[in-house]
Amino acid sequence: MKAVVIGAGLGGLLSAAGLAKAGYEVEVFESLPITGGRFTNLEYEGFKLSTGALHMLPHGPKGPLAQLLSKVGAEVKIVRSEPQTILRVPLEKEARDYKKGFLDIPFNDFPTRLSRKDRMKIAYLIVSTRKNRPTGSSLKTWIKAQLKDEDDWLVKLADSFCGWALSLTSEETPVEEVFEIIENLYRYGGPGIPIGGCKGIIDALESVLEAKGAKIHTKSEVSKILIENGKAVGVIAAGKKIEAELVISNIGHPGSARLCEGEKENLEGVGWTNYLKQAKAQKPSAGIKICLAAAEPLVGHSGVLLTPYAKRINGLDEVSHVDPTLAPAGKHLTMSHQHVSPERIKFLREEIELGLQDLKEIFSDKTYEVLFIQSYHADWPVNRAASGTDIGNETPISGLYVVGDGAKGRGGIEVEGVALGVAQTLQKILGESPE
Amino acid sequence: MRVNKNCVGCGQCAVFCKKNAIEVLGRARITDSCVECGLCASYCPVKAIEFEVST
Repeated sequence: MKAVVIGAGLGGLLSAAGLAKAGYEVEVFESLPITGGRFTNLEYEGFKLSTGALHMLPHGPKGPLAQLLSKVGAEVKIVRSEPQTILRVPLEKEARDYKKGFLDIPFNDFPTRLSRKDRMKIAYLIVSTRKNRPTGSSLKTWIKAQLKDEDDWLVKLADSFCGWALSLTSEETPVEEVFEIIENLYRYGGPGIPIGGCKGIIDALESVLEAKGAKIHTKSEVSKILIENGKAVGVIAAGKKIEAELVISNIGHPGSARLCEGEKENLEGVGWTNYLKQAKAQKPSAGIKICLAAAEPLVGHSGVLLTPYAKRINGLDEVSHVDPTLAPAGKHLTMSHQHVSPERIKFLREEIELGLQDLKEIFSDKTYEVLFIQSYHADWPVNRAASGTDIGNETPISGLYVVGDGAKGRGGIEVEGVALGVAQTLQKILGESPE
Repeated sequence: MRVNKNCVGCGQCAVFCKKNAIEVLGRARITDSCVECGLCASYCPVKAIEFEVST
């Protein structure tokens, strides 16, 4: 059996490795000269920056991605962050920013900033929501319905968490998705850092593929998915026809659909119009990453620092505590993430400026250098499908599956969602997860 | 080289540019140091960099 994978990003390489391990002959086609998509390293002034992700796995060494890597035989060391998530709050409870000083508290201590009444309600909700999961609204609406939250602390916290993890606001995040994430945090634990950064994982997957004789072609764009009688039968890659029983696309539903459109006569009666409508309804999420260099640590630990009182920055990580090779000797690499709402995409420079102002406030007592500023939206977004809008991995074309951040599994944050989606796809194709 | 409206500002082009001729802030901007080698275009994930059509 032959499988073709479109796109050598994380979802594509994970799928390729899973299929190669199950005995498929696999060829991966990548349009760029590099593999890894938005999940690999970019060498810059001695730092290992990244094409997208912040060198962090939301659920660390026990999460869905770590589990799938181990299943397909990819050897990567993933180190659990310690502490996991820290909240930066103003020193004085009444303050609305960090100007008069701040305090770093463990995530689990967030109720201490609530009124006594809200604290009691939260204690009750933490238990009761595990049995009766809230549904049918946004996270923000749910918070405001359940609690008084007089000074908006919980909404600020929710916005920074959703912004960091999903690049969405609490208003844009379905409450179901958040409680699925919370459940996953109980199940798999908090974040971890792969040794070697994102590329550590990509290299490990490529080693698996090489050992299995699978081929990766870079600078080879797929221009068409070939379809016969409602079934995918191959692709046109770099101008050549490649026949296959299975086509896995890592370029999202809308992009995959576009590659099928040339085969219009073969798309009748398969529910194509409806699929197209669903695919096009998916909205990508946007964000900005600012990479900082500093001799003295800025965050000071390997966990996530959430900054609910910043204007734009949702949170930061400092991965060089776990893997010092991600920065030159004697330096740290610190990366911030900020969500960008759809209506602000046309004002990206202003959004960046607000982010830079935040950093000055967050690290008012520190010295650092701004290394590089990267933004993501439209066809090269944070997530091709904003969390909660994923439409699964199947398509109306049999033998054509979509993986990646446009087809994540439920409750999967970023790359964990990619891994859940790939695992579900492999299960569908192989009838069981690969060993 | 010229940058079209597809650019999102991911910076991938700037990192691979051998002449340090691309500045990125929300989107890419090609500076006077550009020697029109075209390397950046191949690294762009959204086909935002094109050769300038000379008139």
